[in-house]
Amino acid sequence: MRRNLAHGPEQFAAPKAQRRLGVSAVVVHVVLVILALIVVSPLLIPFFFTFKTPLEFAYNPWGLPEQLRWTNFETAWKMVRIGEGLLNSAKVCLGTVLFTVPPAAMAGYVFAFYRSRITNILFYVVMAGFFVPVHMVLIPLYQFTTSIGINNSFPGVFLPLSAFGIPFWTIIYRSFYTGLPKELVEAGRIDGAGHFTVFMRIIFPMAKPATVLAVLLSFMGGWSDFIIGLIMLSSQSKFTMQLRISQFIGNLGANYFPQYAAGVIISSLPTILLYLMFYKYIIQGTTLAGAIKG
Amino acid sequence: MAVPQTIARKKKRDWYGLGFITLFLLPALVILGAFMFYPIKETFRLSFMRSSGFGEEIYVGWLNYQRIFASPEFRQGFINVFTWAFWSVVIQIPLAFFIAFTCVNFRTRLIGRLRGVYYLSNVLPSAITAMLGVFIFSPTSGVIKTFAKSVGWQWLERIDFLGDPNIAFWSLFSLATWAYIGFGIIYLMANIEQIPSQIREAALIDGATQLQYAWRIVIPYVSYALRVQAILATVGSIKLFDLPYMVTLGGPRNATVTLGITLYREAFLNWQYGRGAAIGVIIFLICLAITVLQFAFVNNADTTSEVF
Amino acid sequence: MTKSKWYGFLVMTLASLLVLSGVAMAQTTLTIWAVDGLELDDPHAYYVQSMVRNFTADNPDITLDWVAFGTEGAALNNRVRVALAANQGPDIFQSWGGTFMGEFARMGKLLDLTDDLADVATSEAAKSAMSYDGKVYGIAPFFAIAGLYVNEEVFEKLELEVPTTMAELEAVCEVLVANDIQPFAVGARDEWPILATYMYLVNRYGGNIFEDAVAREVRFDADPFVQAGLKIQEWSGRGFFGPTPMSEGYGDAQLLMQTGQAALQLSGSWLCGLYADANQTDQTIGFYSVPILEGGVGSATDLMGMTDVGFVATSTAASKKDAVVRFLTYAMSVEAAEKEAGRVASIPGVDPPNRLTGMASDVFTQAETIQFWWDQNLPPALTNPINLTIQSFLMQDTDVKAELGRYEILVEDELGRVQ
Repeated sequence: MRRNLAHGPEQFAAPKAQRRLGVSAVVVHVVLVILALIVVSPLLIPFFFTFKTPLEFAYNPWGLPEQLRWTNFETAWKMVRIGEGLLNSAKVCLGTVLFTVPPAAMAGYVFAFYRSRITNILFYVVMAGFFVPVHMVLIPLYQFTTSIGINNSFPGVFLPLSAFGIPFWTIIYRSFYTGLPKELVEAGRIDGAGHFTVFMRIIFPMAKPATVLAVLLSFMGGWSDFIIGLIMLSSQSKFTMQLRISQFIGNLGANYFPQYAAGVIISSLPTILLYLMFYKYIIQGTTLAGAIKG
Repeated sequence: MAVPQTIARKKKRDWYGLGFITLFLLPALVILGAFMFYPIKETFRLSFMRSSGFGEEIYVGWLNYQRIFASPEFRQGFINVFTWAFWSVVIQIPLAFFIAFTCVNFRTRLIGRLRGVYYLSNVLPSAITAMLGVFIFSPTSGVIKTFAKSVGWQWLERIDFLGDPNIAFWSLFSLATWAYIGFGIIYLMANIEQIPSQIREAALIDGATQLQYAWRIVIPYVSYALRVQAILATVGSIKLFDLPYMVTLGGPRNATVTLGITLYREAFLNWQYGRGAAIGVIIFLICLAITVLQFAFVNNADTTSEVF
Repeated sequence: MTKSKWYGFLVMTLASLLVLSGVAMAQTTLTIWAVDGLELDDPHAYYVQSMVRNFTADNPDITLDWVAFGTEGAALNNRVRVALAANQGPDIFQSWGGTFMGEFARMGKLLDLTDDLADVATSEAAKSAMSYDGKVYGIAPFFAIAGLYVNEEVFEKLELEVPTTMAELEAVCEVLVANDIQPFAVGARDEWPILATYMYLVNRYGGNIFEDAVAREVRFDADPFVQAGLKIQEWSGRGFFGPTPMSEGYGDAQLLMQTGQAALQLSGSWLCGLYADANQTDQTIGFYSVPILEGGVGSATDLMGMTDVGFVATSTAASKKDAVVRFLTYAMSVEAAEKEAGRVASIPGVDPPNRLTGMASDVFTQAETIQFWWDQNLPPALTNPINLTIQSFLMQDTDVKAELGRYEILVEDELGRVQ
């Protein structure tokens, strides 16, 4: 498959309406809509619960609520202490992104373009980090972070999270870079650009979809994390959103799902909104302004 | 692992290039070294000990490993994770490809709006996904049970989604597919978008149907991405813990137990930290073996350009 | 800045730090890790909330740093374990006694409070639960016992009497099944809920034989164990645990009781608060002692129970022992326990907050022997396996004797063979 075709900037202008508005198109549309519904409907489950009193929920979990009771939201809002929780989660997420994406982007670049026996082995070493289940390393990890003094702090949360994210994103970045045309790099080097310039000016901008994906998903991964936050943090004031809403699922004898559902909605909403705002940039694909000459 | 040999090596060492490589690898390696490799090394060491995790350690050699391999729970977990891996590759990847391909190639307004929806399920933390799963499959007040009762479908009412050993696996698998397929879709979409439109138009001119286009052109084009997806899915399956544990706790009589669950049980419930560490080592080595096999087996022809 | 200004700044900073630390020294801070948070709006958190509030008001020189973890995924236990393994941790944490507490004590992570708490009035059972190897490590203001929750409305409607023997119980269950009501709500999907039922059956068949088995005088696949297991399997087959006991979660079981779809539940008194709360259920539920087996060994005064709410102190709090003892003593006071919404208090002089808890208290006071939950009274390596073993009895194709035999082998590994 020869791939050294010239890429024009019009590459991703939407082709004129597909003339194939035949049966296959209709079937595909129907299937996609059904799949979309399947994806979205479980997300609506908490909304069935939050507006009910516990008794109402017990008798009729799936019916429409008698009235839109907002008390559960109030309690959850108060309990979660949204200001503090948001801030803490945001700090963890920012740290995760900062310490996951640049290292992965850089390492992926080396592994994609500078292949040798050593770098291949190092790639396996980095990739091996992906093979580790979290629980396996929890206790040594805790002991290590305590010994270097970062336990009960935000770096103590986002650095381990980054350590879990870097292998994954290095793999993704490497696969992404590999799909880019080598001619660009060669052309750049011929033009006298140094290693670093090639990366910053040519390759990295072309990997924008991967970067947007990495930033967005690392951020959301940091937001959803529970186990690392649980083990590393011990002050209530530092607890992230996920830790706070887990405090709701209280005692063995309690059954407070309407409140918990409110907490779930509150804590999930930021990431969902964030995603809806930014997903376009991932799917857009690269726009290769400045085609290669020849 | 074959070493690519396409460009004759220069006699002179490119020190600047070496420095550059070191600099670029340093952040990743430092972070990983401290927060991943050091704990891994500790875990390897502890797998040969009997330890409760409190510092008291008694050297027991291979005993942990012997006990693990002899236990029926481990064997069931092993079978389960490999079954899970198999079906992940066979069901989830084609499904993700189908959605990604159709979203890219059928550019209507409707689909344009729908494209972003498929990742939404991935956004949730696993604890919440598990909770949703319970509410869907619960035998007393779950969605499916309530629906079956209200439309009078006895056959559906009778299915015990979480308590029947044969069905529990599939309930969890479908839950996991729902939760995790989004990433695959987005990743493949981004890759498929990269295909130059000239190729697509050329195919159309040549009279290819969408199916032929997908099969003959797109799949080979994104084959590397598909292989990456396969590795991610397989390794993810071997490590699997969250959903089976939080929904069925390992399933009716270990029907849905995974290696990860066995690890958690030994390390955190039974306080047999050494044994838990040994299971961790086993998981690690299995993933390593699978990945090495995958990469060695299919040598990527399009990755031999060396810019060094 | 100029040099002199630098020095001045430095001196001022040092001085203020000294002053602040001087002020801080008069304050003791106790870090407490618990299940319920102080801002929860749930009745089951009222005790800790009012206790913390009152204690802080009465003891201004002690600051309580309260951290709540909920019980999501046994978060508190894992957290404590990881922290203590690295010699970090709270001063006080919520604990349910038994061998898990004992393991911490054995490793020297807990503070020996035998002398300091000697004057605190409590029940023997509670004290014993919070002790290990003869030393007392904490307090248990509330003690839970397992009994039979009965939906009295349903019973009245079907003209049933609360059973006192196994035969009566089975007859009652048959009537319930015939009337489309699930006899027992269990929640066995979560592994542990069926334990209490099994413990009582073993007791009714063979007395407190569990202690003999742990002392390695009897095997775990001896007759009473097997008979009890077979009985559970039989009841499951007859539909007494509902059509799908293995997929019913503990939360599902509660919902069934709350809505009257199930009529019986053999579980702990911690549910009293929930089942007496008009916001949670409109059914009238009572608490009774578990039926006996006619011709069996166990009697109605043999109870199963363990700490419901308990606190222990860690050895890192040794320097603050005085404050710790003051807190723990207050936690055991009548004033503190009064706010509790449903649990059974092991503090003399506390009135039950509602009728249901009162019934549970009555059952508790009649106890002659109390056995602690097996999954918290065995070496850690044997706790989860016993729950898994018992849970498997609910399935019809389980070989009960073989499963118990497999468990016996595990026990032999840990505790040695039977003499």
